[in-house]
Amino acid sequence: MDKILSKKAFSQWIKMLQSYRIYAPLRDDDIWTYEVVKLPEHIDLDFLTTALSPKKIIFPQKEVFLEFRKTNEDAPEIKELLPEEDPTIIFGVRPCDAKALILTDKVFGGDFDDIYYWKRRNHTILVGLACNTPPSPNCFCLSVDGSPHSTDGLDILMTDLGDRYYVESLGKKGDELLNLGKSLFTQPKSTDKKDKDKIQDESRKKIKRQIKDLKKVPPKLMGMWDSPFWDEEAMSCLRCGICTYMCPTCHCFDINDEILSRAPLKGRRVRTWDNCQFPDFTMHSSGHNPRPDKSSRLRQRIMHKFQYFVECHQDYQCTGCGRCISNCPVGIDIIEVLEKVRDYGS
Amino acid sequence: MVNIEDLRNEARRILKEGKVKYVIGYAKSQNGLMPVPVFVKDPEDVEKLIWDPTCIHNLAKFLSDEKKRKAKEKKPDERPVGIVVKGCDSRAIIVLLQEKYINRDDVHILGISCEGSGVIDEKKLAKKLKGKKAESVELDEKGDFVVSTKDGKIKVPAEELLAERCLECRANYPIIYDILLGDKTRKKVDAPFHSLDKMESLTEEERWAFWQEQISKCIRCYACRSVCPMCYCDECVVDTINFAVMADTSADEKAGRIKWIEKSPVPSENFVYHLVRAIHLAGRCIDCAECERVCPLDIPLRFLNKKLEKEAKELFGYDAGFDPDEPSLVSSFKDEDPEDFIR
Repeated sequence: MDKILSKKAFSQWIKMLQSYRIYAPLRDDDIWTYEVVKLPEHIDLDFLTTALSPKKIIFPQKEVFLEFRKTNEDAPEIKELLPEEDPTIIFGVRPCDAKALILTDKVFGGDFDDIYYWKRRNHTILVGLACNTPPSPNCFCLSVDGSPHSTDGLDILMTDLGDRYYVESLGKKGDELLNLGKSLFTQPKSTDKKDKDKIQDESRKKIKRQIKDLKKVPPKLMGMWDSPFWDEEAMSCLRCGICTYMCPTCHCFDINDEILSRAPLKGRRVRTWDNCQFPDFTMHSSGHNPRPDKSSRLRQRIMHKFQYFVECHQDYQCTGCGRCISNCPVGIDIIEVLEKVRDYGS
Repeated sequence: MVNIEDLRNEARRILKEGKVKYVIGYAKSQNGLMPVPVFVKDPEDVEKLIWDPTCIHNLAKFLSDEKKRKAKEKKPDERPVGIVVKGCDSRAIIVLLQEKYINRDDVHILGISCEGSGVIDEKKLAKKLKGKKAESVELDEKGDFVVSTKDGKIKVPAEELLAERCLECRANYPIIYDILLGDKTRKKVDAPFHSLDKMESLTEEERWAFWQEQISKCIRCYACRSVCPMCYCDECVVDTINFAVMADTSADEKAGRIKWIEKSPVPSENFVYHLVRAIHLAGRCIDCAECERVCPLDIPLRFLNKKLEKEAKELFGYDAGFDPDEPSLVSSFKDEDPEDFIR
């Protein structure tokens, strides 16, 4: 279903969706973050790449699985906690971040469904915004099978046509939102469609960064496990967790029991994001650490995204959002690293 | 004015003569304005070295990497490493020397003067250029910045682009060095703690509200710790299971270890992390402000460290990183030290 929505009517549409919890990018000085929208007028869809992707809503950094308490010598009392199934809409999802959720779906689905993830995922509607101009100078979605106006993973894709949005509903969830604002939408004219196609076409040309022949990288990586390449590349790495925590596709987590009281015993079991760049990520109980240094951790990040994931899920675990490049304190650039891998030894 | 060829010649000389293992410096990034750290081993590669007002990183951090790497080698190469430093960075090296973390002969210091100016704040520049891309930034004779874009050059007064810390800098040229490039211009700073004025004028409640909001944003990527040249501990309280676990450490022992901090990024735990870090930096922080620069969520961490720097100055007359022979603040005691805050 394709519709046209005038920009003036946008906040009215949001008001008609008040039964949902709505997230949208909000600005805090120099950075944009997805926050719950209190006033529809606050939504500004002219935003740059957000600090964190919508991953933080579907797969929050902290998730309480259960609470436990011990009142006497019996077994502890356990209370399972599941996420609330609040119908949620995320506005202003970039196509790369929507695709990232398709990738995390593969991880949290498959043979075993992660109920915490899916409860949120299934109750969330993703309203995308096509990137007429790249929201980051480091966008490279075209190189990883994406596009600035891809509909993959989205329920609605909006394209900014200047004074109006071209709104494409991509399924049932999207139709539901359009129906709630029925009176505000008009049928697109053939010129609207033309405008949209033209803008989308141009948007591809505005993406400056790319990796040629990325498909050569996964087989190349197979033979690079012991290569001194990683030591060289990791020289300037600081071992912080920015690249992975900011990544929309990284999904590693840790589970800990947080004790609130020793006697009587009381606490909760919590899942939090974890990070392969941290020293304790692979620390064994014996004290042995199979990834003892930063070169082995950089290798892990690249191997996971461009070799293991490709082998397991036939897709790169990267959507070209550019966050790891823009935020790296020492300018480690995944595009450069991949180009060097591609050309290594040839 | 600093002549980049002088830096390259010196780097080439010490590499050729085998005086250093490698030289840590700045190189042009393949992507974007801000430079990247570079490790030059081959004298032929010294052309990679650059110097301009975008060279913001404090490279002293890589000295602890080098020390850790060396500790793992069976027959380590005992030669020093060369390192390019600004005034602030040299103060970090002095603290490392004071703490005997490194020895003076572990480093060959290639000092560069900021010539009464400093380095730029990338965010200030982005705001100034309103979307335009800067290709280079240079310092002119008068101490202003000349920014080149595709559409030509524009002149910007230094104060508009300088990193906040440079506005309060008291070490415009390196305090310690083996060779110094550029002149010894010491910019006069009338109010070295001026940036704290606004924060200090707030009430306790207002400050608490401010920090609660800021610290709640933290995602604990630990970039502030990772970039800090003073955060060199082998084991950090936040990495709980990193505490020396040996093959013969019993399960009981492991379970009995104190857990200082939970992994949940909630305000209480985030505060533990940031306050532990701030306290550990009291009398050691040299205000390179790298922690604040790297924070992906723009938490104004410099305030915390600057405040403690001010306390050290006011209570003990102590300035970190000016004298390698002076004992460090927290490991020394003087009869005249104030004690009226001990209750």
